[in-house]
Amino acid sequence: MIDRITKAFPAGTKWFDIFHVEGKSTPVKFRNNRLHSLTENENSGTGVRINVNGRTGFSSTNDDTGIERIAGLAASLSPFGDIESFALPSDTRSAFDPYDPAIENFNLQSEIKGCDTAIDELTRRFPGVMVDMGITSSTGSMRLMNSAGVDISYRESYYSASISATLVLPDGTRIETWEGESHTRPVEFSSMISVVADKLEKAMTVCKIESGLYPVILPPSAFGSLLGLVISGFSAVPVWKGISPMAGKQETRVFNEALTIRDNPLIEGSPYSIPFDAEGVNVAEKFLIRKGVVETFIADLKYAERLGIAPTGNASRGYSSLPGPSFTGIEADSGQEHHESMISSVKKGIIAHQFIGLGQSNTITGDFSASMDLAYLVENGKITGRVKDCMISGNIIELLAGEIALSSDRERKGSSVLPWLWIPAVNIVT
Amino acid sequence: MNEKLYDAAEKGKRLLSSGGFDFAEVRLSAGGGTTISLSGENTEAVVSGEAVAGSVRVLKNGSWGFATFNDLSSLERFFRSAVNSASIVIPREKTSIVRAKPFTGRFTTQVQRDFSSVSVDEKFEQLSSYNRILRSSQSIQTTRANYRDSNSLYVYMNSEGSFLEYDRSYCGIALSSVAKKGSVIQPYGESISGYAGYEITEKREALAEKVVKTASDMLDAEPVEGGRYNVILDPKLSGVFIHEAFGHLSEADFVHENPSMRDIMVIGREFGPPELNVIDDGNIESIAGYIPFDDEGIIPSKTYLIKNGTLSGRLHSRETANKMGEETTGNARSMGVMKQPIVRMTNTYIENGQHSRDDIFNALDDGLYAVSFIGGQTNLEMFTFTAAYGYRVKNGKPGKMFRDIILSGNVFTTLKNIAMIGNDCEMFGGLGGCGKGGQGPLPVTLGGPHMLVNDVLVGGGK
Repeated sequence: MIDRITKAFPAGTKWFDIFHVEGKSTPVKFRNNRLHSLTENENSGTGVRINVNGRTGFSSTNDDTGIERIAGLAASLSPFGDIESFALPSDTRSAFDPYDPAIENFNLQSEIKGCDTAIDELTRRFPGVMVDMGITSSTGSMRLMNSAGVDISYRESYYSASISATLVLPDGTRIETWEGESHTRPVEFSSMISVVADKLEKAMTVCKIESGLYPVILPPSAFGSLLGLVISGFSAVPVWKGISPMAGKQETRVFNEALTIRDNPLIEGSPYSIPFDAEGVNVAEKFLIRKGVVETFIADLKYAERLGIAPTGNASRGYSSLPGPSFTGIEADSGQEHHESMISSVKKGIIAHQFIGLGQSNTITGDFSASMDLAYLVENGKITGRVKDCMISGNIIELLAGEIALSSDRERKGSSVLPWLWIPAVNIVT
Repeated sequence: MNEKLYDAAEKGKRLLSSGGFDFAEVRLSAGGGTTISLSGENTEAVVSGEAVAGSVRVLKNGSWGFATFNDLSSLERFFRSAVNSASIVIPREKTSIVRAKPFTGRFTTQVQRDFSSVSVDEKFEQLSSYNRILRSSQSIQTTRANYRDSNSLYVYMNSEGSFLEYDRSYCGIALSSVAKKGSVIQPYGESISGYAGYEITEKREALAEKVVKTASDMLDAEPVEGGRYNVILDPKLSGVFIHEAFGHLSEADFVHENPSMRDIMVIGREFGPPELNVIDDGNIESIAGYIPFDDEGIIPSKTYLIKNGTLSGRLHSRETANKMGEETTGNARSMGVMKQPIVRMTNTYIENGQHSRDDIFNALDDGLYAVSFIGGQTNLEMFTFTAAYGYRVKNGKPGKMFRDIILSGNVFTTLKNIAMIGNDCEMFGGLGGCGKGGQGPLPVTLGGPHMLVNDVLVGGGK
């Protein structure tokens, strides 16, 4: 492939890389309590990045016969790029494939049976509930070639199961909740069903609260949503542009010392783990926040050069786009107390699971304001019902700088491994 | 690439007439585009790309089989695969669809200036000139100026004999400035796009000037105090409101199999004041939500969702229309041919009411004027959307500027709380779009006139 492509390159070519992906997947969709569709996807594509006289151009195609053409196009676009002086890696190593051969054990019939059983269970317990489910099994590969002599690839496998259940009560009150699992091989997903059932059950009673400051407990997925507003400031892009509140804060204690957050590309069993990044930089675990102190900003080759730091192995790309810095797996250290114990010690507070509109406002500085989609009132250590028609707001950087507690138990949701978070006072408006 | 597409289309015709299924469709596309992205003094990206794509969807024994691919020469294999997928399991409840008469036609985006004949140099220079305006205030920390064009040939054909071609050109720009003073960082952006040629991006200096001025002005604005307010929505926010709060609720896939939702969404039920008329119409050419036909080969209708304050219609795919015993509306849309069509909006707007803008302001003794939008989301009962900025209104006069106006409410209550509807409807599209079911951003247009809504919950501290 390289020979075909390099023929199209002009004099003055300093370096190039070629990123090729291909994959097959078989998503199964259940909608409104019944099997709706079975799909087979098979796709591939190639992107060519070339640096001519110090400036970078890029083009992509998913037509195998078009690769020489796009190589020429990429070169023709390079004069518009900025000067980039970084070198491509030449020592890319692959310690593992994020691939589990057990993915081949994916059995469509038994997965469909599992979904039918889950739907039967939920519709029996909650007459009128509408359940959507999705099961996907996919395999694929990524190959990276560059002018520094790298020609390396890995296989990947991915399995996911998701469930969403919706109940509409006669007064129009809507309860919708969901759970999901992802892995490199098929996994048992029945535990999701009991979690969804439990969340529905506890939401059947609506409790009224007054506006004010309340202790709030965030389960791992909700903590992850809010933490996302903070860690976006640890990307080299906003730091370099001067719009990250973390810029200039390295080695400064910004958060409570209970908070340690790592970017971990090697989380066991996570289908998001990678042996090297999309530019061929070798990956490693790194601290974003260590005991409350800002430590590392993540960067690809381009932004590492701009910031004058070493690349961190965080380049991510699809075949049709240039690389950019992206987090691999976010992991927070756990605390001392189990989340159930945290809840039992709340006199009057809120457990916030799902938000509407979080991140849809100006969150650069950590400000947030969102409607509570699914939240529960805790009174004297017990969940007494659901709170709704209210908004939660604050500044997540300030909240994480103040008093917080993290649970001793953690869960992996997608690419993140997080505990539960307790915050003593958050503003709620009703 | 178009030759490959037409070769595949010929194969597709034969396969679709071969039988062995209840209904089948083949969708093919081939095209490419250019993206330019500038930020501050830098070029983020000048890239081009091309893509071919195909999909087959088959309904057999009440179950859908779907196959997607980018190797168009293997259409037969994927056709068999879709038929096999539909045959694997007999579902407990079968899916069936509304049948339609065959349509044939070729549609082409009307352009004044074909962007494929505009040099990358010219595109780059024009965008750079806008970017210079975006940086023209000392308070601006960084900017982003994006240009995107794409042209694709899309072919839809089905076993009913429909054969539709659409030579589609889409073009637009998105401009934003980020102002900074101390620890306050304020982004503001505007975007314009549509099915059009390069002309849609030309002479947009005023848009860039508005962006830089607004971002700078917002630095001195304070966050609004949380609480309940009577709020005047500007035309863009009225559009977001109706898209988020009611448009999604009108998508019949949310309603059709849910007995409780069907009880609520009864045609003829009063949802708002008699002045309220809400329309979805995919036929409005050139704007972002325009579709000459939907992704099930149905020609779109002008659908009144609310007429004179009462529920009048809803948006359908073939499947939901069949389930509810209603007419198709041409609202089955997908993000490209590799996704399955689901019920989506097109151009959704509130029709003009009787009140002038001045009437509406004069009627507000104390409240907020909320302007432009950053984003919005709904769970079909409650919604949240964020105005870019706004003003306190006292005795009909806009005064102090505020930022971070995040409005939330119950859909049904808020519709009933619409007190006045203006006569100055405007439509808005942009390079972004609507997300649903993992498919987004799908180009849509939203719009409306100025509107007074009472008792809206606004988030924020005390």
